[in-house]
Amino acid sequence: MAKGMFVDTSICTGCKACQVACKEWNGLPGEPAHFHKVPDRPYPVAFNFTGNSYDNTGQLSATDWRHVRFIEQFNESRSEARWFFSSDSCKHCNDAGCLNACPVKAIVRTDMGNVFVQQDVCIGCKYCIPSCPYGVINFSEETGTVHKCTLCNDRIHNGLGTACAKACPTGSISFGEVEDLKKKADARLAQLKGLGHDKANIYGYNEAGGLNVFYLFMDSPAVYGQPEKPVVPQRRLFRSAALTVVTAIAVAVAAIISFRERGMKKSEEVKK
Amino acid sequence: MISPETQAPHWEWYYIAMYFYIGGVSSGAYLIGSILELIKKERFRAISKTAYYIAFPLILVTPVLLIADLGSPFRFWRLFSYMNTTSPLSVGTWALLIYGGMSFLSFVNVLAEDRRLTSPGLTKLHAIFSRIPHKVYAAAGSFFGFFVAGYTGVLMNTTARPLWEATDPLIGPIFIASAASTGAAAIVLFMMKQKIGTSEIFSHLETFDRVAMILEIALIVIMLIVAGRYAAPLLTGFYGVLFLGGTVLLGIIAPLWINWRGSKTRAFGDPIMLSAVLVLFGGLMLRISLVQAGQM
Repeated sequence: MAKGMFVDTSICTGCKACQVACKEWNGLPGEPAHFHKVPDRPYPVAFNFTGNSYDNTGQLSATDWRHVRFIEQFNESRSEARWFFSSDSCKHCNDAGCLNACPVKAIVRTDMGNVFVQQDVCIGCKYCIPSCPYGVINFSEETGTVHKCTLCNDRIHNGLGTACAKACPTGSISFGEVEDLKKKADARLAQLKGLGHDKANIYGYNEAGGLNVFYLFMDSPAVYGQPEKPVVPQRRLFRSAALTVVTAIAVAVAAIISFRERGMKKSEEVKK
Repeated sequence: MISPETQAPHWEWYYIAMYFYIGGVSSGAYLIGSILELIKKERFRAISKTAYYIAFPLILVTPVLLIADLGSPFRFWRLFSYMNTTSPLSVGTWALLIYGGMSFLSFVNVLAEDRRLTSPGLTKLHAIFSRIPHKVYAAAGSFFGFFVAGYTGVLMNTTARPLWEATDPLIGPIFIASAASTGAAAIVLFMMKQKIGTSEIFSHLETFDRVAMILEIALIVIMLIVAGRYAAPLLTGFYGVLFLGGTVLLGIIAPLWINWRGSKTRAFGDPIMLSAVLVLFGGLMLRISLVQAGQM
């Protein structure tokens, strides 16, 4: 009975209500705006905001657990434009790179299938950060631990949906049982294909063992900043470890041969 | 606006890359010493002893670096409350603990052998564990020493950062080769300082170092081919200078050249010492460039 979210980007309007609701419910501070001059802009820009896009944070972070991504594509004369919006968050992967990487079991999966960071256990080793193929989880200097979306762990364990889904005015984010959401997604995809949107696709059925938070995109995942074929890093662990062991054996053999006495005497004679 | 797909852990070079380096030198030296002990080379006992003298004090520094890098350093003990077999960091921490223990036993053992064991506590401890044959912990120590030398590379390859993912599965093997060559170089320098080495010993160590360096340069070439365009952060800019100039040129090609030219390079000082210093420098540049370029 895994709970999750289905994000239908075709009806997202980029209002960022989900970003605000996430910050409010989870008590996350806003990014401090430190304005400064940047070379190619006549106006001051906050260094931690994008400054060249309606996208305000650019990426997820320890305090931005939701990020409405703006895909702004214009031609040279700006006569033609294509705008996409996609509300991004932790995908609560079934084979989660961060959870696999955590050395202290601080990152756990709850009975509802969400991946949760136990703040009182995390030691701040930061190894989960590069282990996430989606760049979701991040470190906070203030707490000395890592943070990410919890799928509103407190809400969902008390019969409520996630704050972002609750706030979404167009129904682009829906919360529920993953199986039910998949039916909804398939129906919507069929409808869009019927309307001629051939590039529409569902992202997250197979990636990283299946994503509990999955998406309907109107173009390829790369357009939305998602990796086309994300690899859970730990799936490469065996090959990497095996080649390292082979090298170690080769070095050990090299050591034994290098210190062979007879070979040595010969080379000494040559030197003489 | 497309954001980067993965985020960097922002590990500081003076903690993490430094640990990778010191752990590599220590375990590289230890495994040369322990292998010589295991294959019963009594005439190379001086090498084994030097290796054990180097290995433990170096590895003693590393927990300080590792704990200092943690966001919540006082919780470091949690690493020893659990083992996650899918996490190289977790398994490696346990290996580091065991290797630290084995290198400590070997260290106390050589102190006793040289009659330098003055502390009564250590003497008592030595009396207890000296009933176990040296070879038992030399074997365990060399196994876990290899582990410490190599897991740090596997740890980097087992992430989704573009450079580290693209170079999979070669950082582990490169770190093994680098640990072996820097370990041999550390033994050479220490023996020179103590004036206990013979030309025969140095010549053997040089032979081993040469093999390790040739292996390392071959693996680096394969790594760059495998990584293709993702190797750009390692070949350009500041880390390009460190990697190509520091590791490849000064740390491998120059010592190999000195090694090959032999005594004809005396103009730059003692060639054996010079090549050992260059190898140790190159190993540090290798760790810094790979760890930091992967986080750009």
